[in-house]
Amino acid sequence: MDVNQTKQEHLLALKVMRLTKPTLFTNLPVTCEDRDLPGDLFCQLMRDDPSTIRGAETLMLGEMLTLPQNFGNIFLGETFSSYISVHNDSSQVVKDILVKADLQTSSQRLNLSASNTAVAELRPECCIDDVIHHEVKEIGTHILVCAVSYTTQYGEKLYFRKFFKFQVLKPLDVKTKFYNAESDLSSVTDEVFLEAQIQNITTSPMFMEKVSLEPSIMYNVTELNSVVNGDQGESTFGKMSYLQPMDTRQYLYCLKPKPEYAEKAGVIKGVTVIGKLDIVWKTNLGERGRLQTSQLQRMAPGYGDIRLSMEMIPDTVNLEEPFDIICKVTNCSERTMDLVLEVCNTRTIHWCGISGRQLGKLSPGASLSLPLTLLTSAQGLQSISGLRLTDTFLKRTYEYDDMAQVCVVCPSV
Amino acid sequence: MDSGEIPAERPVTLDITVEDVPKEAPGPASSQPSSSQESIDLGGDFISPQDDSSATRSESILDKLNDQMMESVMISDSPNNSEEEEDVAAMDSILDAEEGEYVCNKEEQAEIGQNTKEIIVSFEDQHSAEGMVAEELMKDTDRQRDDSDSKFTEADTEEAFEENTMHEPVEATLSSPKEESIPVCTIFSQGPQPKALVPDGFQPTLIKSPSFGMMSAGVSDEAVITSKLHSPLICQPSPSLSKFFSDNGHTNPASDFFDSFTTPSSFISVSNPNAELPSSPTPERQLSTSSSISTPGAVLDFGTPTSVFAPAPMDSSKTQSTAPQTPPVVANSATQPQPFNQLQAVFSGSDDPFATALSLSEVDRRHDAWLPSEEIRKVLISVATQQFSPAYVETSRLTMPGLKFDNLQGDAVKDLMVRFLGEQAAVKRQVLTANSVEQSFTGLKQLISTKNWRAAVDLTGRLLTAHGQGYGKAGQATSHTTDSLQLWFVRLALLTKLNLFQNAELEFEPFGNLDQPDLYYEYYPNVYPGRRGSMVPFSMRLLHAELPQYLAKPQEALDRLHNLRTGCLAILENLEKGLAEDGSMITLTQENRQASLKLWKSRLSRVMYSMANCLLLMKDYILAVETYQSIIQYEPRQRVQLLSAIGRIFLQIGDVKTAESYFQDVEDACQMKGSQPSDSTCMVMNRAFVYLSQNNYTEAHSSFTEVLKTDPKNPVANNNAAVCLLYLGRLKESLGQLEGLVQQNPAQYLHESVLFNLTTMYELESSRSNQKKQALLEAVAGREGDSFNTQCLKLV
Repeated sequence: MDVNQTKQEHLLALKVMRLTKPTLFTNLPVTCEDRDLPGDLFCQLMRDDPSTIRGAETLMLGEMLTLPQNFGNIFLGETFSSYISVHNDSSQVVKDILVKADLQTSSQRLNLSASNTAVAELRPECCIDDVIHHEVKEIGTHILVCAVSYTTQYGEKLYFRKFFKFQVLKPLDVKTKFYNAESDLSSVTDEVFLEAQIQNITTSPMFMEKVSLEPSIMYNVTELNSVVNGDQGESTFGKMSYLQPMDTRQYLYCLKPKPEYAEKAGVIKGVTVIGKLDIVWKTNLGERGRLQTSQLQRMAPGYGDIRLSMEMIPDTVNLEEPFDIICKVTNCSERTMDLVLEVCNTRTIHWCGISGRQLGKLSPGASLSLPLTLLTSAQGLQSISGLRLTDTFLKRTYEYDDMAQVCVVCPSV
Repeated sequence: MDSGEIPAERPVTLDITVEDVPKEAPGPASSQPSSSQESIDLGGDFISPQDDSSATRSESILDKLNDQMMESVMISDSPNNSEEEEDVAAMDSILDAEEGEYVCNKEEQAEIGQNTKEIIVSFEDQHSAEGMVAEELMKDTDRQRDDSDSKFTEADTEEAFEENTMHEPVEATLSSPKEESIPVCTIFSQGPQPKALVPDGFQPTLIKSPSFGMMSAGVSDEAVITSKLHSPLICQPSPSLSKFFSDNGHTNPASDFFDSFTTPSSFISVSNPNAELPSSPTPERQLSTSSSISTPGAVLDFGTPTSVFAPAPMDSSKTQSTAPQTPPVVANSATQPQPFNQLQAVFSGSDDPFATALSLSEVDRRHDAWLPSEEIRKVLISVATQQFSPAYVETSRLTMPGLKFDNLQGDAVKDLMVRFLGEQAAVKRQVLTANSVEQSFTGLKQLISTKNWRAAVDLTGRLLTAHGQGYGKAGQATSHTTDSLQLWFVRLALLTKLNLFQNAELEFEPFGNLDQPDLYYEYYPNVYPGRRGSMVPFSMRLLHAELPQYLAKPQEALDRLHNLRTGCLAILENLEKGLAEDGSMITLTQENRQASLKLWKSRLSRVMYSMANCLLLMKDYILAVETYQSIIQYEPRQRVQLLSAIGRIFLQIGDVKTAESYFQDVEDACQMKGSQPSDSTCMVMNRAFVYLSQNNYTEAHSSFTEVLKTDPKNPVANNNAAVCLLYLGRLKESLGQLEGLVQQNPAQYLHESVLFNLTTMYELESSRSNQKKQALLEAVAGREGDSFNTQCLKLV
C-alpha cells in the first residue's frame, strides 16, 4: 500500500480506489424475550445500534451504506469507475501537478482523465481528486496507468507512475438457435424462430432489464417472452426478472420477413443476417451493464431445385377410399424445367391416375398446383410417399417420400 | 490432472461418434445445416466445415459433430453422398488432432514461462521509453491469454463429449426409423418435435459492448475465442505482471485497489478453545479442573436424578434438600470462596420445590408451552402419571452439555493498543472483566450492557461450571434447571453476537434438537411439581434454528425454522380451539387466552423474520420478499419498514423499477396512517436509494441531507451522505463530515460500518492513514467494550 517505497521519495502520493456501488450493511439480529435472563438487554442493544432499522430491529437488511470492500470483479459492458487521489504528503508546496490516467487494453490506449491541464500548486495535506469512468468494451487484461508529474519548490521536475492491472471477465454466455417454421403453406419464405439462451456466468444475481432482438432490415420481430393477460403483458419469467449465478434463461423471438422482401422469394436464401441481441442488465444498487451480440446469421432452409409443399390434404380418410390432395410444385432453381410426374405405389399407398404425366415447363420461381388422388390399404397413420418428378432437360429425378401423413380409419359399419 | 482425465473421457466419445456417424451420414442432412449453424458466429471461432479436417481446433470439429447429430432433424434435399466418407475421415482426425493439440498446449505453456522473463528484461531495457512499456506488457498477457484459451478449449471439448453422451440415446431412437428415407419433402414429415427433443444445438454467440467498433479484425477474432470460454470469475494476477510490478518497486498492485479487505463474513475473530492465557489462571479454570476430578456422585447430588444410575424419585426430595449443600462441594477446591457464595445464591431459591409449586402460574404456562414430539411426550407422560422413574430413559436421549472451551477472555482493542500505541497507552484501557463484577446474573447483565460480551461469556462459563456443566463435562450425567438453561442461552447468544459461530455450534451440539425428555419440566415432577412445558426458552430454540445459516448451512436453518413455525402455528390453533397451548383441556380465562394469542403471534412473526433473513442470506430473493411481505399481517405497525426493506432488496438485485413501486406503497401507507416524522424520514431515505441506483449521486446526497434537516442526528443519513460525497469526488468533505460525527457523538458513530468507511477513506487520502486509524483506536478504547470488532479499523 505504501507508495514511497521507490528509490526516490516522492512528495506526492497517488491512491486509487475502484468505486463499485456501495453496499447496504446487514446486521445480525439476536433477540430474547423479557422473561429471559438478559431481560430487555439484547433488544436495547439492538435499538442502540445505528445500523438497525428503527421499529423493526430484527430486519437484517439495514440502510447504512458501506464503501466497497475489495476490487471485486468487473465484467464486459460494465462501467469501470475509479477514484484517483493525489495527496501532498510533504510539508512543502508542490507546483504544476499533472495527473494523467490512461487505460491500456490489448488493443488500444485510452485517456480517462477529466482534464489534461496542470494544477498550479498543491499545498501540504491537500488533494487533487478525480473520479474516472469508462465503459469496458474488451475482455481480458486492462491496465490503468496513472502518471503524476510535478515540480518541487526547488524547481526540480519529478515524475512517477503507477500501474493497476485488472481482468475484465465475460458476464454472459449467449447461445442461439434458429427454427424454420413452415406454417404458412402458400409462402416460400417463412417465419423464423430464434431461441436465445442467456446464462449469467458472474457470481452475483443479475436483473435483466432488457433483452431485445434488433432485427435486420429484412425482418420484423415479435418478442414471445410475455403472456398477454388482459391489457398487461406478463413476463414468462415471473414477477422477479433476475438471474441467479449460473442460471440460464431462454428467450424466444419470431421473425417474419417484411413483405417487400418476402415477395422476392429468391432473396432470402442462403445466409441471411437476422439481427442482434441487445442486453441490458443491472446488479447491486443499479450497477449497469450492456452488451450486444454479433450479428446473428441464419442459413435459410434450402429447398434444392424443386420445392414440393402440401396445399390441401385431409387429416382423416377412410380405408380403401380414394381421397384428393393438392401439392404445390415450385421451381426454386435458376433454370426452366420440364417436368414429368411419376407415382409409385408403396405397400400401403396406391395412387390413382396416370403415372408418367407431363406437367409442362416451369420457369424459375414459378409454381403449379398438382391435384392428385390416392387411397390407402392399411389403417393407422400412413405416410404419403412415392412421388417422383423428373426434369427431362437434365434427366434428373427428384424423389418425394414421407411428404405428409394421413390418419386412415375403417369406415363405420 | 488434465492428462489423466482426457483419456478417460475418450473411449466414451469414440463409441458415440462411431455409432452416430453411420446413422447420420446416410441422411443427406449433414453438411448444409451444419454450415448454417456455424455461420452464426462471425468471429472465426468456428471454421466452415469444408476446411476443418485436421488443422483446426478440436473443439470446433466436435461442435460440428454435435451439430450433425442435431441436424438429423433438419432438412435438406441435396444429397451429396461423398460427404459421408469425408465425415468419417474427419472423425479420425479429430481424435488425432485432439491429442496433438493437448501436447502442443503443454509445450506452449512451458514456452510462455520463458517468454515472460524475456519480456521483463526487455522492459527494463526500455525503461525510459514510456509509451512502449504498457504495450509490451499487453503482448505478454495476450500470449498468456492465448495459452489459457487453448486450455479452455480442452475443457470445452470434454463438455462436448458429455453432451454427446447425453443426447445419444435420443438421437438413436429418432434416427433409426428414418434410416432409409432419402430426400425428404419438408412439410409434414418431420415436424419440429424431434428438434425439440434434442436439447442442445445452441450456438455460443459473440457478445460485445454496443459501442465496440474500433478494434481491428484480428482483435475481434480473439474476442470471439474468449467469448466461447467460461472465464474464471476470479481475477488472478498473471505471474509476469505481478513480477513487473514488484520489479518496479511497487507492492502488489491489487492492494492499491484496496482489495485486500476481508469480507464481513471473515470478521470472525479467532478464538482458541482451551487456549492458555498469558495472565494468571483464573478461578474459573481451576474450577473446571476441580469439577472434572470430582466424583460422579457429587455431580448427581447436585441436581435431580437423571440417569440410569439415578436414585429413585422417592429419594429425589432428599436429594433436593441436599442441593443447597452442593455448591460447597465444588467450592472446596476453589480458591476464592467469595464468588461461590454468590454462585450459590444464583442457584438457590428458584429451584426450591415448594416455591416452584406455588409459582406455577398462567405466565409460566404461556411462555413455557411447547409441543414435544410424540415419542418424547410418551416418556414425559409416563414420568408424570405413573410416577415412573425416569431412570429407564436411555442416556443417549438425555442432554448432557458442557463447556467446550473454557476461556475466551481477551480484549482485541487492548491487544491492538499494545501493538500500535505501546504498553503505556494500553494501560489506560479499562474494561470490565468477569472478575471485576459480581458473580451473579446482575454482574452478567452489567457485562452485557457495557458490551463486554467476551467477559460475559466467561462469566456464564463460571456459573455453568458451578452448576456442574463446566469444561469437559459434556457427556456426563447432569440435570437442568430453568436458570442453567437461561445461562446456556445467554452464553450461546453472546457467542453468536461475537460471530463465534463454530463455538456456539460446538456447545449447542449436546442439546440435540432441543427435544429431549430432560429439557421439559414434566421430567422433574419433584423439583417442579405440576409445572409443564419446555425448560428451553423459546429464544434459545430460535437461536438454535438460526445458527446454521451463519455456518453456510442455510437449508438446515430453514428446516429448523420451519419446525418452529409449525410449533407456533399448532399452539395458536390450540388456542383458537379453546384449548390450552399444549392442547390440554384447561379452561383459560378470556384475558389469559388473549395474552397467549398475542405472545404466540409475536413469536410466530419473530420466526418468520428469521426465515426471511435466512432466505435473504441465501439470496433467494423471491421467497425472501414473499416472507417479508407475509410478516406485514402479523406486524402491521412495521408495514413501512418492511415495504422499504423489500424495496431495498429489489435495488440490491438491480430492479429499480419494482423497487420504486414498493417505495410508492410505502408512501401510500404513510399517508394512510397520517404523517409521522419517522415516516417522512423513511420516504426521503428511500428516494435517496433510488437516486443512488440511478447513479445520481448528487440527488442522492441532497436527499440524505434533506433527512438531516428534520433529523440532524440520524446516523444513517449522515453516514450515507458522506459516502455519496466520496462518489462525487469530494473526499476531503466526506472525511470531514464523518470525522466530525465520530468526534461529536462517539456513542452513535463508533459503529463498525462508519469506522470501516472512515478508515477506507483514510487509506485513500494519504499514506499516513495508520496514524489516523490509531487515533480512532484510542477513541474506541475509551468507549467500547471487549466485544468491539477491531477488523473495521483495518490496522492489521
